[in-house]
Amino acid sequence: MLGKLLKHEWKSTWKVGGMMLLGLLLVSFFGWFSFQAPVWQSMSDNGYYNGFTLWDLMSVGVLLLYVIMLIGLNYGIMIYIGVHFYKTMYTDEGYLTHTLPVSKHEILVSKILIGGLWMLLVTIGVFLSVMGLVSSMFGAVMPEGYSWRELWDEMQPYMGYMDDMFKDTFGMSITSYFILLAVMSVVQPFCTITILFGAISIGQLFTKHRVLMAIVSYVGIMIVANMLSSMVQGVFSINQMARSLDDNVLLGRYMNVSLYFSVFLSIVEAIILYIVSHQITTKKLNME
Amino acid sequence: MNELVEIVGLTKAYDAKHVAVNNITLTLPRGKIIGLLGPNGSGKTTLIKMLNGLLTPTQGSIIINGKYVGVDSKAQVAYLPDRTYLSGNQKISEILDCFVDFYADFSREKAEEMLRSLNIDPSTKLKTLSKGNKEKVQLILVMSRNACLYVLDEPIAGVDPAARDYILRTIINNYNPDATVIISTHLIGDIEQILDEVIFMRYGHLVLYTSVGNIREQHGKSVDAYFREVFAC
Repeated sequence: MLGKLLKHEWKSTWKVGGMMLLGLLLVSFFGWFSFQAPVWQSMSDNGYYNGFTLWDLMSVGVLLLYVIMLIGLNYGIMIYIGVHFYKTMYTDEGYLTHTLPVSKHEILVSKILIGGLWMLLVTIGVFLSVMGLVSSMFGAVMPEGYSWRELWDEMQPYMGYMDDMFKDTFGMSITSYFILLAVMSVVQPFCTITILFGAISIGQLFTKHRVLMAIVSYVGIMIVANMLSSMVQGVFSINQMARSLDDNVLLGRYMNVSLYFSVFLSIVEAIILYIVSHQITTKKLNME
Repeated sequence: MNELVEIVGLTKAYDAKHVAVNNITLTLPRGKIIGLLGPNGSGKTTLIKMLNGLLTPTQGSIIINGKYVGVDSKAQVAYLPDRTYLSGNQKISEILDCFVDFYADFSREKAEEMLRSLNIDPSTKLKTLSKGNKEKVQLILVMSRNACLYVLDEPIAGVDPAARDYILRTIINNYNPDATVIISTHLIGDIEQILDEVIFMRYGHLVLYTSVGNIREQHGKSVDAYFREVFAC
């Protein structure tokens, strides 16, 4: 039955999710467009700008809009998935969800997988968009006749040095570090969605203002998680500083611990809140 | 074994002051149409929600066809809530797809035949239908299942008399004769002729569970008239 639930969950979310990805494509076009203004070219040619034209001001405005819309889309998909979960689980539509002959685990897992997938798709979309913007920016400020190939060739002699520096600082190669970041980026959306669903489910334990209490629960969970994270990082910093390590090594280790701990914490939070959601839908379900 | 539903010591308390269903013990047989009757706030909908796993009982248990309320019981219970519970953005055909996927006892042919008889196009979105037609579509979905228990919460409330007749006809003509149908309603006069048995509830308590024949023989009254006498304000 999980396969069928996944199919129907996908069918009920693909239109809005697809529209958001299309929106992302449009926003990316704005980003690219903003670097077509003459000011960027004059910067690369002369090293300074020759004064802003209206076209340049528009370009900066569009770039600002790009950043705002990108952030909006990132939160927009999360809000949409949260609202969809709330509607199909705890409002009138929940009457169908909870009378289907499927287990609560199957319902929750299908919603987490599809919701997390949409978050992941938007994250990938945002990453590609930013990469596109960066390449568009380099393209705009690169001197005339200078190609990407040439830039790459010039960087080659320094790559070994950068890799060594990375190993000294972070204790791993650039490739390993980016693979690790990619794996964490895949895991994180599913954890975020599970935590969000858990907070919405906690809101259902209240007899009144359930949506408000869901938001309060989510904010509360985030505050507790940040406090825990800060405490661990603080303890780690003091401990490492006491060893009088080199500044770069200290920074690298601090960043490593922050990264590992934030992902570890997200996974632990997600597991706890999954259990909470399951217990609430199994033992405390109160459809109004 | 003729028992289909066994309810033992069932209680639902929202808090110490609000006990919606209070210690009900009841056994319902197969093959009957049973009216679940009572004034507003008597606990009818709460009882129905517990039968369908939408509310968790505070105490007591429910067994349907030998299964506690859960995945197995839900596969055998066809439930019509007292509200539109389907997404208005879905086409009727998409809702049929959903029922085909999840309910092994659902007959798509039967549902499409009933839709045809009402001139409802399956490619229509649910939100574009009138209130009466939405009710009919929901009823068609429920009655196209070959379930062992049909639970219909206020199926004829808020629709015109012609639609009521259609709904009652659909129930009688389509339910599995070995199954039991529980109908909750205020409009006793309209459904009295199809009922075999009645359950009276008040303030969460079971007041009476008897056959319609008994009421007529012992009290010399229709169910509607007897209900008005029992629940007179």
